[in-house]
Amino acid sequence: MIDIEDRFIEKRIFKSRLILIYLFFGFLFSLLVYRTYSLQVYSFSSYELASIENKTKTVLVQPTRGIIYDRNGNILINNVPSYDLIIQPSQITDIQAYLDRLGSIISISNRDREYVYEQFPIKSSYNRELTVKRGLSNEEIARFEVRNYLFPEAIIDERYSRESQYPDLFSHVLGYVGGIQNDRLENVLSSQNKRLGETAFKYANGYLVGKTGIESIYDNELRGTFGEKVYEVDARGKFLKQIDLIDPIKGKDLVTSLDLNAQKIAYEAMKGRRGAVVVVEIESGSIITYLSSPSFSINEISNGISNSNFQKLVDDKNKPFFDRASQGRYSPASTIKPAIGLYGLENKIIDWDFKIQDPGYFILPEDQRVYRGWKDGGHGEINLESAIIESSNTFFFSLAYESEIDDLIQHLASFGFGKNVCLDCFNPDKGLLPSPEWKMNNLNFGWFKGDSVNMGVGQGYLSATPIQLAFYGAFLSNKGSLEKLSILDIYSNKELLELPSNNISEEDWNRLHDSMIGVIESPKGTAKRLKNLKPYTIAAKSGTVELVSLDSKEDYELVRQDINKRDHAIMVAFGPMPNPKYAVSVVIENAESGGSVAGPVAVKVLNSLIDK
Amino acid sequence: MKQLSFKRFTIYFDQYLFISITLLSVMGLFFLYSASQGDVNVVIKQAVFVGFGLCLMFALSQPDPDIYKILSLVFLIISLLLVVITILFAKEINGAKRWLDLGVFTLQPSELVKIALPLYLASYLFEKPIPIDLKNTFKSIAIIATCFLLIAKQPDLGTSLVVSMAGIYILFFAGLSWKFIGSSFLIFIISLPFLWNNFLQPFQQQRIQTLLDPGADPYGSGWNITQSKIAIGSGGISGKGYTDGSQSHLDFLPETETDFIFAVIAEEFGFIGICVLLSIYFFILLRCLYLAFNARDRFCRLTIGGLSLIFASTLFINLAMVTGLIPVVGMPLPLISKGGSSLLSFYIAFGIIISMASHKKLMQR
Repeated sequence: MIDIEDRFIEKRIFKSRLILIYLFFGFLFSLLVYRTYSLQVYSFSSYELASIENKTKTVLVQPTRGIIYDRNGNILINNVPSYDLIIQPSQITDIQAYLDRLGSIISISNRDREYVYEQFPIKSSYNRELTVKRGLSNEEIARFEVRNYLFPEAIIDERYSRESQYPDLFSHVLGYVGGIQNDRLENVLSSQNKRLGETAFKYANGYLVGKTGIESIYDNELRGTFGEKVYEVDARGKFLKQIDLIDPIKGKDLVTSLDLNAQKIAYEAMKGRRGAVVVVEIESGSIITYLSSPSFSINEISNGISNSNFQKLVDDKNKPFFDRASQGRYSPASTIKPAIGLYGLENKIIDWDFKIQDPGYFILPEDQRVYRGWKDGGHGEINLESAIIESSNTFFFSLAYESEIDDLIQHLASFGFGKNVCLDCFNPDKGLLPSPEWKMNNLNFGWFKGDSVNMGVGQGYLSATPIQLAFYGAFLSNKGSLEKLSILDIYSNKELLELPSNNISEEDWNRLHDSMIGVIESPKGTAKRLKNLKPYTIAAKSGTVELVSLDSKEDYELVRQDINKRDHAIMVAFGPMPNPKYAVSVVIENAESGGSVAGPVAVKVLNSLIDK
Repeated sequence: MKQLSFKRFTIYFDQYLFISITLLSVMGLFFLYSASQGDVNVVIKQAVFVGFGLCLMFALSQPDPDIYKILSLVFLIISLLLVVITILFAKEINGAKRWLDLGVFTLQPSELVKIALPLYLASYLFEKPIPIDLKNTFKSIAIIATCFLLIAKQPDLGTSLVVSMAGIYILFFAGLSWKFIGSSFLIFIISLPFLWNNFLQPFQQQRIQTLLDPGADPYGSGWNITQSKIAIGSGGISGKGYTDGSQSHLDFLPETETDFIFAVIAEEFGFIGICVLLSIYFFILLRCLYLAFNARDRFCRLTIGGLSLIFASTLFINLAMVTGLIPVVGMPLPLISKGGSSLLSFYIAFGIIISMASHKKLMQR
């Protein structure tokens, strides 16, 4: 009996415990089913996405940059394809040994080596590619490709270098391109709904972006749109097959208003001297010539220059990187005189018959300070016309003395002084149109009458860039109104600058132009030497910027021993008269005479345009 | 369960278990073809194991349970001896000595212990008073501990834990007192930090940490579990289609043929496929529950209960691991994962279960 009872108890315990443990497992398994349900049904979309992201890899295909043309369809900057040997510095520890190994297959010049050694730590830290050798021959490519398994850190790939046939001609106006910082690349990509993560080492690191000039201003247009190649990849990241391809869209080609030939003439005429030449087409306000001299090769900068060569350019005392055309500040000197004359006419301080006696100097009544002209003994009895032709200082000293400074400033502002007059110049300087407030704020001095007098001959604080001077010339030629300048003719509503000239008649403008023609054509003209250099007439005004204020010619002879203290030469001209098409400004630093040094440059450039 | 009587002899088998196990095994071959990237050799080798295993299962269903009772001690001793031989003489693979090379087949003796231990304990407790007293409890625990330590020495923590669980299930069915269970559990909890510091290898600690935060190192230790979850999740309701799972076919998923084959199935057949698969497993387990209830004596009851729970535990551990509920431990999906010893051990277990369920005694003890 005990036995049977025992068995009964045993069976009961067993059954209850087995059910208990099955219930426990039932609970565990329902957890599992719920878990699977939540993975497969509830979170399906996120896991599906993750699995697609796992198995696909998108690499961006770089668009080619737009081509830049001149106004006549000449290619100024192009993309030149070449097969380059490229390494991934972050994967390489001993670059010297690595180059030795590579060098046994593809010869590497000492210059290239030097460049690689120098760039290696930089590119390595940014995880950028580094080009070891450009423009490989077919034989070199073949030699490398059969051994490429030995060099997983190196590839040969097609790269486009940005090249100009005229690398030194358009250095400042067109500018150069260069590598791009990660954060900027991210901006560029996100504007095209792409991600930086999608850029494989192979594709994106050769991406070039405009750094200066037109390349930078119109980078958005030039850069084009990235394409995409979508690959199926396995877990090791091995590309199995291409699933999808979106072709890149080539950047927009830009047709500039620049004229290759005129730029060439200007470049040759400047002979590497420090200065700038700017030519403007008056009717359209487009910039035809934009030269800052000396210049540098944009090809070298765009496609990788060694630090030492770059440093040489930076250290060059002639400052080739400095864009004198739109950033150089120069006193307009005597070229301002027509504008001052117009001020006198507008405010009825003078008329064309108004005459004064020019003894060669002006004495400021307030403090008896003497302001001298350029000619000892003066110009005798002169009116506005002869004062412009002979460039009398005394006439304009006394006219400026009579001026209301605030009116005068406002008047000069209409000519573009103190303003940015170029819509697509790179980092244009506004020059300086001084005012009593400006002087008080910056120099802690009040405005003296003498400051106005100085302004009358374009000296003192007033300064302008060659772009502004060219605008000024075009503005004068167009009789008091002009749209802002541009290098690309893409602006539909260009801002118009206008002289509010209630008291200036057509007749006044014609006489002013005649006076400026006289600067060259009159036997007394300051630029009469230019008369026979051209087959047509042009209107002009020369200027000589005094860098040191002096009382006598003898003092200047001492000063000019130091070349850097010699006067700057300036010329503003437009022609052909009587229907001017082009206005030009030329500035040559320390060249002393506007009429005889800057003048010929201006005429040569105009000749190249007007001959046609 | 059936006893088919012919003129001279009787065939013992259980058609429910037999059909469902065969079905699972064949489905396994089908899944394995995809999981091995279409490697026919792997599938053929596995098919041979399956065929042999099914025959073995059938053969082991025939002897009377009393024979197992008598032989259980010998079986356990041989199994443990093989483990010892493995520890002493086997070649080290991945830092562990688990496999004995038998020429045609590498045997993992610890898989045999998994069956031998519950079998022996069931026969040991057959004559003992129930509920089990303290003396027998400690004796049993000593046996379990011996097996545990021997296997853990290989080292193979996963299998040694399953083996101990197998023993403990038997003790539990034998009426192990709740007091004892409660206090052991308390001691276990208290000694957890001690176990963590002294028994777990650094890689084992890492696996546990990875489970808690798989995102911390998704390309390192978290890779397996991350990819497994992506594979399962991206299968959705109806799956990506047979052999079309990108996670398994592009090598994102590790160990597709063995431990992670469930993820392959989930990716290619979706939630519907998983439900079908799990229903077959549940059917097998419920059938075992039924058989255990109706077993002819204590020995059979304990054995069927213990063996079926080993099956359930292995299944649960594999699924929980693959779905990221527990740390990664080497545990196959029963009857489906590629692999010899563990596959055979389940056929052996089911052979014994069928034998115990289908042999009736006229005179019940």
